[in-house]
Amino acid sequence: MKKVLIVGGGAGGIILANSLDKKNYDVTILDKSDMQVFQPWFLYMAFEGKNKNISKPTVKLLNKGSKFIKEEVKTIDLDNRSVQTASNTYSYDYLVVATGTVTDTSSIRGLQEINSKFGDYHTNIDNSMRLWSNINSFSGGTLVLGQASPTCKCPPSPLEGILLAEQLLTRKKIKQKSKLVFFTPYPRAYPAEPINKIVEPIMKARGIDIYTFFDVDYIDTQKSSIYSIEGDEIHYDLPIVIPPCVGVKIEYKQDVLDQDRFVKADKYTMRIQGYDDAFAIGDATNIPTSKSGVTAHLQAKVVASIIEGQNVIFNGRTHCPFDMAYGKATFVIGSYTQPVVPYPPSAFKHFMKMMMAKIYWSSLKGTFDFMFDTYFKMTDPEKLNKKYK
Amino acid sequence: MGDKIVIDARGSSCPGPIVELAKAYRNSKVGDTLELWATDAGVRADVQAWAQKTKNQIDSITEQEGKIVVVIKILNR
Ligand SMILES: Cc1cc2nc3c(=O)[nH]c(=O)nc-3n(C[C@H](O)[C@H](O)[C@H](O)COP(=O)(O)OP(=O)(O)OC[C@H]3O[C@@H](n4cnc5c(N)ncnc54)[C@H](O)[C@@H]3O)c2cc1C
Repeated sequence: MKKVLIVGGGAGGIILANSLDKKNYDVTILDKSDMQVFQPWFLYMAFEGKNKNISKPTVKLLNKGSKFIKEEVKTIDLDNRSVQTASNTYSYDYLVVATGTVTDTSSIRGLQEINSKFGDYHTNIDNSMRLWSNINSFSGGTLVLGQASPTCKCPPSPLEGILLAEQLLTRKKIKQKSKLVFFTPYPRAYPAEPINKIVEPIMKARGIDIYTFFDVDYIDTQKSSIYSIEGDEIHYDLPIVIPPCVGVKIEYKQDVLDQDRFVKADKYTMRIQGYDDAFAIGDATNIPTSKSGVTAHLQAKVVASIIEGQNVIFNGRTHCPFDMAYGKATFVIGSYTQPVVPYPPSAFKHFMKMMMAKIYWSSLKGTFDFMFDTYFKMTDPEKLNKKYK
Repeated sequence: MGDKIVIDARGSSCPGPIVELAKAYRNSKVGDTLELWATDAGVRADVQAWAQKTKNQIDSITEQEGKIVVVIKILNR
Protein backbone atom coordinates (compact mmCIF):
# COMPACT_ATOMS: atom_id res chain seq x y z
CA MET A 1 0.00 0.00 0.00
CA LYS A 2 1.26 3.50 -0.88
CA LYS A 3 2.05 5.66 2.12
CA VAL A 4 0.55 9.17 2.18
CA LEU A 5 2.05 11.40 4.84
CA ILE A 6 0.17 14.62 5.63
CA VAL A 7 1.99 17.29 7.63
CA GLY A 8 -0.59 19.48 9.35
CA GLY A 9 -4.07 18.32 10.28
CA GLY A 10 -6.02 21.56 9.89
CA ALA A 11 -8.88 22.13 7.48
CA GLY A 12 -6.85 21.07 4.41
CA GLY A 13 -5.05 18.09 5.97
CA ILE A 14 -8.20 16.61 7.50
CA ILE A 15 -10.25 16.93 4.30
CA LEU A 16 -7.44 15.32 2.32
CA ALA A 17 -7.16 12.38 4.75
CA ASN A 18 -10.93 11.93 4.71
CA SER A 19 -11.04 12.04 0.91
CA LEU A 20 -8.46 9.32 0.25
CA ASP A 21 -9.58 5.71 -0.05
CA LYS A 22 -8.01 4.05 2.99
CA LYS A 23 -8.37 0.61 1.41
CA ASN A 24 -5.70 1.60 -1.09
CA TYR A 25 -3.68 4.18 0.84
CA ASP A 26 -1.94 4.13 4.19
CA VAL A 27 -2.71 7.65 5.46
CA THR A 28 -0.94 9.34 8.38
CA ILE A 29 -1.35 12.89 9.68
CA LEU A 30 1.39 14.52 11.74
CA ASP A 31 0.37 17.61 13.69
CA LYS A 32 2.01 19.41 16.59
CA SER A 33 -1.43 19.95 18.10
CA ASP A 34 -4.17 17.36 18.61
CA MET A 35 -6.90 20.02 18.73
CA GLN A 36 -8.44 21.85 15.80
CA VAL A 37 -9.71 25.41 16.09
CA PHE A 38 -12.44 27.01 13.96
CA GLN A 39 -10.47 30.16 13.10
CA PRO A 40 -13.25 32.15 11.35
CA TRP A 41 -14.90 32.53 14.76
CA PHE A 42 -11.98 34.68 16.03
CA LEU A 43 -13.80 37.54 14.28
CA TYR A 44 -16.92 37.15 16.42
CA MET A 45 -14.90 36.64 19.59
CA ALA A 46 -12.94 39.84 19.00
CA PHE A 47 -15.76 42.11 17.80
CA GLU A 48 -18.86 40.68 19.48
CA GLY A 49 -17.40 38.94 22.52
CA LYS A 50 -19.00 35.65 21.48
CA ASN A 51 -16.78 33.20 23.30
CA LYS A 52 -18.07 29.73 22.53
CA ASN A 53 -16.17 26.48 22.30
CA ILE A 54 -14.50 26.42 18.87
CA SER A 55 -12.03 23.60 19.43
CA LYS A 56 -12.33 19.90 18.68
CA PRO A 57 -9.92 16.96 18.98
CA THR A 58 -8.49 16.12 15.54
CA VAL A 59 -9.10 12.39 15.92
CA LYS A 60 -12.84 13.09 16.23
CA LEU A 61 -12.74 14.73 12.80
CA LEU A 62 -10.96 11.93 11.00
CA ASN A 63 -12.98 9.21 9.33
CA LYS A 64 -11.97 5.63 10.01
CA GLY A 65 -8.65 4.38 8.67
CA SER A 66 -6.31 7.38 8.97
CA LYS A 67 -3.60 7.47 11.63
CA PHE A 68 -2.96 10.59 13.69
CA ILE A 69 0.37 11.29 15.38
CA LYS A 70 0.90 14.31 17.61
CA GLU A 71 4.43 15.43 16.77
CA GLU A 72 5.91 18.66 15.48
CA VAL A 73 7.73 18.37 12.17
CA LYS A 74 11.18 19.96 12.20
CA THR A 75 12.77 19.00 8.89
CA ILE A 76 11.60 17.87 5.47
CA ASP A 77 13.99 16.34 2.93
CA LEU A 78 12.13 16.00 -0.36
CA ASP A 79 14.98 14.27 -2.25
CA ASN A 80 15.15 11.50 0.34
CA ARG A 81 11.39 11.39 1.06
CA SER A 82 12.06 11.92 4.72
CA VAL A 83 10.16 13.91 7.36
CA GLN A 84 11.70 14.46 10.78
CA THR A 85 10.19 15.32 14.13
CA ALA A 86 12.12 15.71 17.39
CA SER A 87 11.92 11.99 18.04
CA ASN A 88 11.18 10.18 14.76
CA THR A 89 11.84 10.01 11.05
CA TYR A 90 9.00 9.16 8.65
CA SER A 91 9.16 8.09 5.03
CA TYR A 92 6.45 8.40 2.39
CA ASP A 93 5.36 7.67 -1.15
CA TYR A 94 3.33 10.89 -1.24
CA LEU A 95 3.80 13.92 0.99
CA VAL A 96 1.23 16.66 1.48
CA VAL A 97 2.22 19.78 3.40
CA ALA A 98 -0.79 21.52 4.97
CA THR A 99 0.83 23.46 7.79
CA GLY A 100 -1.15 26.71 7.48
CA THR A 101 0.41 30.01 8.57
CA VAL A 102 1.51 31.78 11.71
CA THR A 103 1.34 35.46 12.59
CA ASP A 104 4.71 37.14 12.95
CA THR A 105 4.95 40.23 15.14
CA SER A 106 8.76 40.32 15.11
CA SER A 107 9.37 41.83 11.68
CA ILE A 108 7.74 45.22 12.38
CA ARG A 109 9.08 47.50 15.09
CA GLY A 110 6.51 48.21 17.81
CA LEU A 111 4.11 45.51 16.66
CA GLN A 112 4.97 43.00 19.38
CA GLU A 113 4.31 45.66 22.03
CA ILE A 114 0.89 46.70 20.77
CA ASN A 115 -0.03 43.11 20.02
CA SER A 116 0.60 41.96 23.57
CA LYS A 117 -1.40 44.90 24.88
CA PHE A 118 -4.33 45.02 22.45
CA GLY A 119 -4.45 41.57 20.86
CA ASP A 120 -5.50 40.67 17.31
CA TYR A 121 -7.98 38.32 15.63
CA HIS A 122 -5.75 36.18 13.40
CA THR A 123 -3.56 34.37 15.93
CA ASN A 124 -5.51 32.44 18.57
CA ILE A 125 -8.39 32.51 21.04
CA ASP A 126 -6.43 34.38 23.76
CA ASN A 127 -5.45 37.21 21.43
CA SER A 128 -9.02 37.47 20.10
CA MET A 129 -10.47 37.71 23.61
CA ARG A 130 -7.82 40.28 24.58
CA LEU A 131 -8.87 42.37 21.60
CA TRP A 132 -12.52 42.06 22.67
CA SER A 133 -11.78 43.32 26.16
CA ASN A 134 -10.02 46.36 24.65
CA ILE A 135 -12.79 47.10 22.15
CA ASN A 136 -15.47 46.53 24.73
CA SER A 137 -13.90 49.00 27.15
CA PHE A 138 -13.16 51.58 24.43
CA SER A 139 -14.92 54.80 25.33
CA GLY A 140 -14.07 56.96 22.32
CA GLY A 141 -11.08 58.21 20.34
CA THR A 142 -9.46 56.89 17.18
CA LEU A 143 -9.88 53.22 16.39
CA VAL A 144 -7.45 52.18 13.67
CA LEU A 145 -7.60 48.83 11.91
CA GLY A 146 -5.62 47.27 9.09
CA GLN A 147 -3.32 44.51 7.98
CA ALA A 148 0.39 45.05 8.58
CA SER A 149 1.54 43.31 5.42
CA PRO A 150 0.10 42.41 2.02
CA THR A 151 -0.44 38.75 2.93
CA CYS A 152 -3.43 38.17 5.13
CA LYS A 153 -5.37 35.02 5.81
CA CYS A 154 -8.98 35.42 4.65
CA PRO A 155 -8.77 38.60 2.50
CA PRO A 156 -12.17 40.05 3.56
CA SER A 157 -11.36 39.70 7.27
CA PRO A 158 -9.71 43.14 7.75
CA LEU A 159 -12.82 44.85 6.34
CA GLU A 160 -15.12 42.59 8.31
CA GLY A 161 -13.26 43.76 11.42
CA ILE A 162 -13.71 47.48 10.80
CA LEU A 163 -17.38 47.05 9.78
CA LEU A 164 -18.15 45.03 12.92
CA ALA A 165 -16.24 47.58 15.03
CA GLU A 166 -18.39 50.36 13.57
CA GLN A 167 -21.55 48.39 14.33
CA LEU A 168 -20.43 47.89 17.93
CA LEU A 169 -19.56 51.55 18.52
CA THR A 170 -22.88 52.60 17.02
CA ARG A 171 -24.82 50.16 19.19
CA LYS A 172 -22.94 51.28 22.28
CA LYS A 173 -23.67 54.92 21.32
CA ILE A 174 -20.01 55.97 21.34
CA LYS A 175 -19.71 56.45 17.59
CA GLN A 176 -20.01 60.26 17.94
CA LYS A 177 -16.99 60.28 20.21
CA SER A 178 -14.98 58.07 17.87
CA LYS A 179 -13.12 58.16 14.61
CA LEU A 180 -12.77 54.97 12.61
CA VAL A 181 -9.78 54.53 10.34
CA PHE A 182 -9.10 51.64 8.00
CA PHE A 183 -5.69 51.26 6.36
CA THR A 184 -4.59 48.87 3.63
CA PRO A 185 -1.48 48.31 1.51
CA TYR A 186 -3.73 48.05 -1.57
CA PRO A 187 -4.98 50.81 -3.91
CA ARG A 188 -8.52 50.51 -2.54
CA ALA A 189 -10.35 49.21 0.50
CA TYR A 190 -10.85 45.76 -1.03
CA PRO A 191 -8.16 44.77 -3.54
CA ALA A 192 -10.54 43.20 -6.08
CA GLU A 193 -12.41 46.09 -7.76
CA PRO A 194 -15.85 44.44 -8.17
CA ILE A 195 -16.14 43.89 -4.42
CA ASN A 196 -14.58 47.25 -3.64
CA LYS A 197 -17.37 48.95 -5.60
CA ILE A 198 -19.80 47.41 -3.17
CA VAL A 199 -17.94 47.88 0.09
CA GLU A 200 -16.35 51.32 -0.30
CA PRO A 201 -19.64 53.25 -0.48
CA ILE A 202 -20.86 51.31 2.56
CA MET A 203 -17.72 52.32 4.49
CA LYS A 204 -18.09 55.97 3.48
CA ALA A 205 -21.75 55.97 4.48
CA ARG A 206 -20.76 54.59 7.88
CA GLY A 207 -18.10 57.26 8.36
CA ILE A 208 -15.01 55.06 8.08
CA ASP A 209 -11.87 56.83 6.80
CA ILE A 210 -9.83 54.81 4.32
CA TYR A 211 -6.04 55.08 3.95
CA THR A 212 -4.88 53.19 0.84
CA PHE A 213 -1.28 52.28 -0.08
CA PHE A 214 -0.49 52.10 3.61
CA ASP A 215 2.03 49.32 4.11
CA VAL A 216 3.13 49.35 7.76
CA ASP A 217 6.79 50.23 8.24
CA TYR A 218 6.89 50.66 12.04
CA ILE A 219 4.79 51.62 15.03
CA ASP A 220 5.91 54.29 17.47
CA THR A 221 4.25 53.27 20.71
CA GLN A 222 5.42 56.44 22.51
CA LYS A 223 3.70 58.67 19.99
CA SER A 224 0.83 56.18 19.41
CA SER A 225 1.36 56.38 15.67
CA ILE A 226 1.68 53.91 12.82
CA TYR A 227 4.01 54.80 9.92
CA SER A 228 3.90 53.37 6.40
CA ILE A 229 6.66 52.48 3.94
CA GLU A 230 4.97 55.01 1.64
CA GLY A 231 5.59 57.77 4.18
CA ASP A 232 2.20 58.35 5.87
CA GLU A 233 1.33 58.46 9.56
CA ILE A 234 -1.85 57.49 11.44
CA HIS A 235 -2.40 58.31 15.09
CA TYR A 236 -4.31 55.75 17.19
CA ASP A 237 -6.00 55.34 20.54
CA LEU A 238 -7.00 51.75 19.86
CA PRO A 239 -4.78 50.01 17.27
CA ILE A 240 -5.98 46.76 15.71
CA VAL A 241 -3.09 45.66 13.55
CA ILE A 242 -3.28 42.27 11.87
CA PRO A 243 0.27 40.91 12.04
CA PRO A 244 2.04 39.71 8.89
CA CYS A 245 1.11 36.16 8.07
CA VAL A 246 4.00 33.84 7.18
CA GLY A 247 4.72 30.14 6.74
CA VAL A 248 5.61 27.95 9.75
CA LYS A 249 9.19 27.25 10.81
CA ILE A 250 10.05 23.95 9.17
CA GLU A 251 13.49 23.45 7.68
CA TYR A 252 13.33 22.22 4.07
CA LYS A 253 16.54 20.63 2.78
CA GLN A 254 15.64 21.90 -0.69
CA ASP A 255 15.00 25.41 -1.92
CA VAL A 256 11.19 25.35 -1.99
CA LEU A 257 10.24 28.31 0.24
CA ASP A 258 9.65 31.93 -0.73
CA GLN A 259 10.76 34.88 1.40
CA ASP A 260 7.76 34.56 3.71
CA ARG A 261 8.37 30.83 4.17
CA PHE A 262 5.42 29.85 1.94
CA VAL A 263 5.94 26.64 0.00
CA LYS A 264 6.33 27.22 -3.73
CA ALA A 265 3.73 25.04 -5.38
CA ASP A 266 2.09 24.73 -8.78
CA LYS A 267 -1.14 26.70 -8.83
CA TYR A 268 -3.05 23.98 -10.73
CA THR A 269 -1.71 20.72 -9.26
CA MET A 270 -0.36 21.94 -5.90
CA ARG A 271 2.83 19.93 -6.58
CA ILE A 272 5.78 21.38 -4.72
CA GLN A 273 8.04 22.99 -7.31
CA GLY A 274 10.25 20.28 -8.83
CA TYR A 275 8.57 17.27 -7.18
CA ASP A 276 6.00 14.77 -8.44
CA ASP A 277 5.40 13.07 -5.11
CA ALA A 278 5.05 16.11 -2.84
CA PHE A 279 2.19 18.61 -2.63
CA ALA A 280 1.34 21.69 -0.59
CA ILE A 281 -2.23 22.85 0.04
CA GLY A 282 -4.15 25.56 1.87
CA ASP A 283 -2.60 28.54 3.62
CA ALA A 284 0.92 27.04 3.58
CA THR A 285 1.51 27.71 -0.14
CA ASN A 286 2.54 30.70 -2.24
CA ILE A 287 -0.27 29.98 -4.73
CA PRO A 288 -1.83 33.31 -5.84
CA THR A 289 -5.32 32.79 -4.47
CA SER A 290 -6.97 33.60 -1.15
CA LYS A 291 -5.82 31.93 2.01
CA SER A 292 -9.13 30.51 3.11
CA GLY A 293 -10.68 27.31 4.36
CA VAL A 294 -12.67 26.97 1.16
CA THR A 295 -9.48 27.07 -0.94
CA ALA A 296 -7.82 24.51 1.37
CA HIS A 297 -10.93 22.34 0.96
CA LEU A 298 -10.99 22.49 -2.86
CA GLN A 299 -7.22 21.98 -3.16
CA ALA A 300 -7.38 18.97 -0.82
CA LYS A 301 -10.04 17.39 -3.02
CA VAL A 302 -7.94 17.94 -6.15
CA VAL A 303 -4.77 16.54 -4.56
CA ALA A 304 -6.65 13.45 -3.31
CA SER A 305 -7.85 12.84 -6.88
CA ILE A 306 -4.36 13.37 -8.34
CA ILE A 307 -2.86 10.89 -5.86
CA GLU A 308 -5.58 8.44 -6.84
CA GLY A 309 -4.47 8.76 -10.45
CA GLN A 310 -7.01 11.19 -11.89
CA ASN A 311 -6.11 13.99 -14.24
CA VAL A 312 -7.66 17.04 -12.52
CA ILE A 313 -6.60 20.57 -11.67
CA PHE A 314 -7.52 23.31 -9.20
CA ASN A 315 -9.14 26.21 -11.08
CA GLY A 316 -8.36 28.90 -8.49
CA ARG A 317 -11.91 29.07 -7.21
CA THR A 318 -12.44 31.33 -4.20
CA HIS A 319 -15.55 31.63 -2.10
CA CYS A 320 -14.78 33.83 0.88
CA PRO A 321 -17.66 34.89 3.11
CA PHE A 322 -17.68 38.63 3.84
CA ASP A 323 -19.71 39.88 6.82
CA MET A 324 -20.73 43.48 6.19
CA ALA A 325 -22.35 43.92 9.64
CA TYR A 326 -26.00 44.76 10.40
CA GLY A 327 -26.96 41.22 9.39
CA LYS A 328 -25.77 41.32 5.78
CA ALA A 329 -22.97 39.49 4.02
CA THR A 330 -21.63 38.62 0.59
CA PHE A 331 -19.12 36.15 -0.84
CA VAL A 332 -15.94 36.90 -2.76
CA ILE A 333 -16.19 34.51 -5.68
CA GLY A 334 -13.69 34.24 -8.52
CA SER A 335 -11.23 31.85 -10.17
CA TYR A 336 -8.04 31.88 -12.24
CA THR A 337 -10.08 32.62 -15.35
CA GLN A 338 -13.00 34.57 -13.90
CA PRO A 339 -12.70 37.98 -12.24
CA VAL A 340 -14.31 38.41 -8.85
CA VAL A 341 -18.10 38.69 -9.05
CA PRO A 342 -19.78 41.94 -7.88
CA TYR A 343 -22.04 39.84 -5.68
CA PRO A 344 -24.55 42.01 -3.77
CA PRO A 345 -24.75 41.62 0.01
CA SER A 346 -27.93 40.19 1.50
CA ALA A 347 -29.40 38.87 4.71
CA PHE A 348 -29.62 35.42 3.14
CA LYS A 349 -25.86 35.34 2.49
CA HIS A 350 -25.32 36.30 6.11
CA PHE A 351 -27.49 33.38 7.12
CA MET A 352 -25.37 31.12 4.86
CA LYS A 353 -22.20 32.33 6.54
CA MET A 354 -23.62 31.56 9.97
CA MET A 355 -24.82 28.15 8.75
CA MET A 356 -21.27 27.36 7.65
CA ALA A 357 -20.09 27.98 11.22
CA LYS A 358 -22.66 25.44 12.39
CA ILE A 359 -21.84 22.70 9.90
CA TYR A 360 -18.08 23.30 9.76
CA TRP A 361 -16.98 20.20 11.67
CA SER A 362 -19.22 17.88 9.67
CA SER A 363 -18.03 19.49 6.44
CA LEU A 364 -14.47 18.39 7.28
CA LYS A 365 -15.75 14.82 7.55
CA GLY A 366 -17.25 15.00 4.07
CA THR A 367 -20.84 14.70 5.29
CA PHE A 368 -21.94 17.60 3.10
CA ASP A 369 -19.77 16.95 0.03
CA PHE A 370 -22.75 16.43 -2.23
CA MET A 371 -24.36 19.65 -1.04
CA PHE A 372 -21.10 21.58 -1.49
CA ASP A 373 -20.63 20.27 -5.02
CA THR A 374 -24.08 21.48 -5.97
CA TYR A 375 -23.65 24.79 -4.15
CA PHE A 376 -20.28 25.48 -5.81
CA LYS A 377 -21.82 24.75 -9.20
CA MET A 378 -24.75 27.05 -8.46
CA THR A 379 -22.37 29.85 -7.52
CA ASP A 380 -19.99 29.29 -10.43
CA PRO A 381 -18.24 32.64 -11.05
CA GLU A 382 -18.77 32.51 -14.82
CA LYS A 383 -22.51 32.15 -14.34
CA LEU A 384 -22.67 34.81 -11.64
CA ASN A 385 -20.55 37.26 -13.63
CA LYS A 386 -23.07 37.09 -16.47
CA LYS A 387 -25.88 37.77 -14.07
CA TYR A 388 -24.33 40.61 -12.08
CA LYS A 389 -22.19 42.44 -14.66
CA MET B 1 23.39 46.69 -9.25
CA GLY B 2 19.95 45.67 -8.20
CA ASP B 3 18.29 42.33 -8.71
CA LYS B 4 15.58 41.48 -11.19
CA ILE B 5 12.56 39.95 -9.52
CA VAL B 6 9.81 38.32 -11.55
CA ILE B 7 6.36 38.25 -9.97
CA ASP B 8 3.99 35.87 -11.70
CA ALA B 9 0.48 36.97 -10.72
CA ARG B 10 -1.23 35.63 -13.82
CA GLY B 11 -4.71 34.37 -13.11
CA SER B 12 -4.81 36.02 -9.72
CA SER B 13 -8.17 37.70 -9.32
CA CYS B 14 -8.66 37.55 -5.58
CA PRO B 15 -7.02 39.30 -3.92
CA GLY B 16 -5.21 40.19 -7.16
CA PRO B 17 -1.86 41.07 -8.74
CA ILE B 18 -1.40 44.27 -6.73
CA VAL B 19 -1.10 42.11 -3.60
CA GLU B 20 1.78 40.19 -5.14
CA LEU B 21 3.40 43.48 -6.15
CA ALA B 22 3.02 44.96 -2.66
CA LYS B 23 4.59 41.80 -1.26
CA ALA B 24 7.56 41.96 -3.59
CA TYR B 25 7.99 45.70 -2.90
CA ARG B 26 8.33 44.99 0.79
CA ASN B 27 11.23 42.64 0.13
CA SER B 28 12.93 44.81 -2.51
CA LYS B 29 15.66 47.43 -2.38
CA VAL B 30 16.57 50.54 -4.36
CA GLY B 31 17.97 49.56 -7.75
CA ASP B 32 15.92 46.37 -8.10
CA THR B 33 13.75 45.77 -11.13
CA LEU B 34 10.37 44.17 -10.55
CA GLU B 35 8.72 42.45 -13.48
CA LEU B 36 5.05 41.83 -12.79
CA TRP B 37 3.11 39.38 -14.95
CA ALA B 38 -0.66 39.58 -14.84
CA THR B 39 -3.76 38.75 -16.81
CA ASP B 40 -6.19 41.05 -15.01
CA ALA B 41 -6.56 44.26 -17.09
CA GLY B 42 -7.16 46.32 -13.93
CA VAL B 43 -3.46 45.94 -13.17
CA ARG B 44 -2.55 48.82 -15.53
CA ALA B 45 -4.34 51.52 -13.56
CA ASP B 46 -3.34 49.93 -10.25
CA VAL B 47 0.39 49.87 -10.89
CA GLN B 48 0.33 53.45 -12.14
CA ALA B 49 -1.41 54.63 -8.98
CA TRP B 50 0.96 52.49 -6.95
CA ALA B 51 4.08 53.88 -8.64
CA GLN B 52 2.89 57.44 -8.15
CA LYS B 53 2.18 56.86 -4.48
CA THR B 54 5.39 54.98 -3.72
CA LYS B 55 7.52 57.22 -6.00
CA ASN B 56 8.80 54.35 -8.09
CA GLN B 57 9.16 54.24 -11.84
CA ILE B 58 7.29 52.22 -14.43
CA ASP B 59 9.67 51.45 -17.29
CA SER B 60 7.12 49.72 -19.49
CA ILE B 61 3.74 48.06 -19.69
CA THR B 62 3.37 45.59 -22.56
CA GLU B 63 0.84 42.96 -23.48
CA GLN B 64 1.25 39.76 -25.46
CA GLU B 65 -1.44 37.15 -25.91
CA GLY B 66 -3.25 38.29 -22.82
CA LYS B 67 -0.12 38.37 -20.65
CA ILE B 68 0.49 41.85 -19.30
CA VAL B 69 4.08 42.57 -18.32
CA VAL B 70 4.87 45.58 -16.16
CA VAL B 71 8.51 46.50 -15.58
CA ILE B 72 9.10 48.63 -12.50
CA LYS B 73 12.30 50.23 -11.34
CA ILE B 74 12.59 50.62 -7.58
CA LEU B 75 13.82 54.16 -6.83
CA ASN B 76 12.34 54.53 -3.40
CA ARG B 77 12.21 51.99 -0.63
C1 LIG C 1 -10.42 35.89 11.34
C2 LIG C 1 -10.43 34.80 10.33
C3 LIG C 1 -11.58 34.58 9.58
C4 LIG C 1 -11.62 33.57 8.64
N1 LIG C 1 -12.77 33.37 7.95
C5 LIG C 1 -12.85 32.39 7.03
C6 LIG C 1 -14.05 32.12 6.35
O1 LIG C 1 -15.07 32.75 6.62
N2 LIG C 1 -14.06 31.15 5.40
C7 LIG C 1 -12.95 30.42 5.10
O2 LIG C 1 -13.00 29.56 4.23
N3 LIG C 1 -11.78 30.63 5.76
C8 LIG C 1 -11.72 31.59 6.71
N4 LIG C 1 -10.54 31.79 7.41
C9 LIG C 1 -9.33 31.07 6.99
C10 LIG C 1 -9.26 29.62 7.42
O3 LIG C 1 -9.40 29.50 8.79
C11 LIG C 1 -7.92 29.06 6.98
O4 LIG C 1 -7.66 29.45 5.66
C12 LIG C 1 -7.87 27.53 7.03
O5 LIG C 1 -7.91 27.10 8.35
C13 LIG C 1 -6.61 27.01 6.34
O6 LIG C 1 -6.49 25.64 6.46
P1 LIG C 1 -5.07 24.94 6.41
O7 LIG C 1 -5.34 23.49 6.49
O8 LIG C 1 -4.28 25.46 5.28
O9 LIG C 1 -4.31 25.44 7.73
P2 LIG C 1 -4.75 25.33 9.26
O10 LIG C 1 -6.19 25.01 9.39
O11 LIG C 1 -4.24 26.55 9.92
O12 LIG C 1 -3.96 24.04 9.77
C14 LIG C 1 -2.55 23.99 9.86
C15 LIG C 1 -2.18 22.85 10.80
O13 LIG C 1 -0.78 22.60 10.70
C16 LIG C 1 -0.27 22.33 11.98
N5 LIG C 1 1.17 22.59 11.99
C17 LIG C 1 1.79 23.78 11.83
N6 LIG C 1 3.13 23.62 11.89
C18 LIG C 1 3.36 22.31 12.10
C19 LIG C 1 4.55 21.53 12.26
N7 LIG C 1 5.77 22.08 12.21
N8 LIG C 1 4.41 20.19 12.47
C20 LIG C 1 3.18 19.62 12.52
N9 LIG C 1 2.03 20.31 12.37
C21 LIG C 1 2.12 21.64 12.17
C22 LIG C 1 -1.06 23.25 12.88
O14 LIG C 1 -1.03 22.82 14.23
C23 LIG C 1 -2.46 23.18 12.27
O15 LIG C 1 -3.24 22.17 12.85
C24 LIG C 1 -10.48 32.76 8.41
C25 LIG C 1 -9.33 32.96 9.17
C26 LIG C 1 -9.29 33.96 10.13
C27 LIG C 1 -8.06 34.15 10.95
